[in-house]
Amino acid sequence: MLSRAQEKLLAKVQKPARYTGGELNSVVKNKADVKLRYAFCFPDSYEIGMSHLGMKILYSLVNERADAWCERVFAPWEDMETLLRENHMPLYALESGDALSEFDMIGFTLQYELSYSNVLNMLDLGGVPIRSADRTDLTPIVVGGGPCACNPEPMADFFDIFLPGEGEEVTNELIDLLIAHKEKGSDKLTFLREAAKIEGVYVPAFYDVTYHNDGTIEAVTPKETAPAKVKKRIIADLDSVYYPEKFVVPFIDIVHDRAVAEVFRGCIRGCRFCQAGFIYRPIREKSSDTVNRQAKCLCDSTGYDEVSLCSLSTSDYTGIETLIPKMFQWALPEKINVALPSLRVDNFSEELMEELKKVRKSGLTFAPEAGTQRLRDAINKNVTEEEVLKTSAQAFRGGWTSVKLYFMMGLPTETLEDIAGIADLAQKVVNEFYKNPDKPKGKGVTVSISVASFVPKPFTPFQWEPQDTMEQLVAKQKHLMENVHTHKIQVSWHQSRTSFLEGVFARGDRKLCNVIESAWRKGCKFDGWDEYFLFDKWMEAFEENGIDPAFYSNRRREFSEILPWDHLDYGIRKAFLEEENKKAHESVTTPHCRQKCAACGAAKLNGGHCDAK
Amino acid sequence: MQNDIRIFFTKTGMAKYISHLDLMRCMSRAFKRAQIPLWFTEGFNPHLFMTFARPLSLGQESLCEVVDVRLVGEMTFKEMQTRMNAVLPRDITVVGVAKPVHKPSEIAVAEYAIKLFTDSPNALCEYIQSGFEAQQITVLKKAKQGRKKIEKEIDIKPNVLNFEIAPQETHVLLNVSLTAGDQNNINPTLLLSALTAGFPSEIENTEILKTKILMEDGEQFC
Repeated sequence: MLSRAQEKLLAKVQKPARYTGGELNSVVKNKADVKLRYAFCFPDSYEIGMSHLGMKILYSLVNERADAWCERVFAPWEDMETLLRENHMPLYALESGDALSEFDMIGFTLQYELSYSNVLNMLDLGGVPIRSADRTDLTPIVVGGGPCACNPEPMADFFDIFLPGEGEEVTNELIDLLIAHKEKGSDKLTFLREAAKIEGVYVPAFYDVTYHNDGTIEAVTPKETAPAKVKKRIIADLDSVYYPEKFVVPFIDIVHDRAVAEVFRGCIRGCRFCQAGFIYRPIREKSSDTVNRQAKCLCDSTGYDEVSLCSLSTSDYTGIETLIPKMFQWALPEKINVALPSLRVDNFSEELMEELKKVRKSGLTFAPEAGTQRLRDAINKNVTEEEVLKTSAQAFRGGWTSVKLYFMMGLPTETLEDIAGIADLAQKVVNEFYKNPDKPKGKGVTVSISVASFVPKPFTPFQWEPQDTMEQLVAKQKHLMENVHTHKIQVSWHQSRTSFLEGVFARGDRKLCNVIESAWRKGCKFDGWDEYFLFDKWMEAFEENGIDPAFYSNRRREFSEILPWDHLDYGIRKAFLEEENKKAHESVTTPHCRQKCAACGAAKLNGGHCDAK
Repeated sequence: MQNDIRIFFTKTGMAKYISHLDLMRCMSRAFKRAQIPLWFTEGFNPHLFMTFARPLSLGQESLCEVVDVRLVGEMTFKEMQTRMNAVLPRDITVVGVAKPVHKPSEIAVAEYAIKLFTDSPNALCEYIQSGFEAQQITVLKKAKQGRKKIEKEIDIKPNVLNFEIAPQETHVLLNVSLTAGDQNNINPTLLLSALTAGFPSEIENTEILKTKILMEDGEQFC
């Protein structure tokens, strides 16, 4: 419930419904009835944050407890931030309207590196000191999770705890512990000592990092109760893990405004550039009955007319052939669209396409990722040109007239020949359209190619590789454009500057904490949004702190170097990643996990069990 | 026409920040959750057939919103109301379900209860009162001349059918009837901007509540 003063601001901002709360299925409790208040913060706009499945799961999970109340907090848009600061009002949680500083636990999900400045901004707006060392009371405890928690070092000074891995179990264990320590009246250090004993809890202040003269890490030494290596948490059985029966249904249009059913975690593919493909291992699937039941339940409770299946590479789900007919049985009569994102060209069958045509037709997107077979082999994207062309031809026969192709540039071992290959492949897809004798009259074809800049990430075989410099990327973009000869091919790419910054933080260490604070003090926020990204301010911040960003992004690391994330255990063996790196430089592929187990090591997290075996 | 159903609902509190477009999506999802058997359009993208009598401006509350739908199965009005209220978000409430009597195009008048919060209610009350008593109430209204967007000055005094005004402890209470409908619709914010222009102290907050929609003859729209 908002106060009159808060409401007054709403009359002056764009999209006030971002800040009102009160959406269907949002949970309001009496704060006197709960022992712990949890603020789940998403460091980006409401529209982005509300689309995030992890938040929906943890929000419902915590609110199932009678003794805790979870609320949502998003980064306010600039107009709202200005009003809050002008009126000396704190950033508040949507359900209660209470300031962030009133919460016992503040959880941030770190989905991408370019949201780091927003974390600082939200803490500050909420009246919470940004540095862990300046928060001396037991509460609030600031916790971070999500994919970036696999190398949270650049944010180490701002968080009390990171939770690498999956949050469903460890969140509850941490809440239990904090409630107990609140009741005992413990101090913060006592609580953190106990917390560090929980598997999957990383207390960054309990590790001393020393550096060599060249800036590389000399040693990471645990102290207090901290383990030498923090093992990420995983959920052993996805069929029995908690999954929400309800989603909060927003009033305004958000990015992914639909019901979402998760089908599996992990990925069998082993594409060498893809962090998600490694950090969510081992493979664990839900049964098609569970997925079907959860999807139906969500559609009933939300009224959504679209449900999507969520996982990496969804068509690798072994239950897909049984699941789709089950879902269509109830979805079609209720006019509910079933969306299947993330399909791969190599197993996109004619039958599946026929099924998809029963519901609304959306765009077709393929991700060959690289322009030549040699480079696709190097990155282990086991897709052939023949498959891309065959599937495109099939889609064109099915009535599609536009295809989207995703590529990357700046990949290890890449040459200008590989860049030209991107344009060649797109041209061949255009040609496939005109080969179709039944092509629709009077209609052209559009092949959109989207080229992202490759950013090497931790826990991938490319974690030692130098990232292309901005100059190299710009030269490659130019080369690509010189090889595109038709308007039927539309090219778009990422800003090389944002990719550069992303690269610095992805593999950064604790020396970057000061840089992030300086940049935020200079006004950096919403760095993922082109209109807010202040590259020059970031460069000033590096300069002032005596940090060369190229040290992190453009430098090749020795295999023997201690990496900033080496004390986090994601199951994947470092020797396996090294092996994969060497194979990449020889353009040798690794078969996917169902063809042959590559012995990545992740199964040890699950008692040796992996659903790909 | 045989199965057309009219649903009367209120949209108050935080729901005033839901825009008309968002309201349409919200209601269509609510009908789905309530499992009321309604007619869908039969085009390539079937969607729920739903007609709102008058859109409500963002930031205004209402006790008299109306949406028409078409029933394709059996269900009592009472059952529909109960089911809808079980699944609607807080601050949107169905207050009646009935067979439509009038056409939405017959709506001619809307009544509003307006609260203007200020430190000096008495002064503001007099200021607005004198505005009403002036020869004309001129406002700038956005209009179109062909394709060109223009602003024109119009006198809306004839559109103000009735008003009562009284100072309260924290605010001024204004009850006003304005012409409404497809042709002569007057948004109360437009009237307020004309009546409060030039008032020396700040008006902190304005609450606008639509209380009734009427026909030309003063009969309630139903």
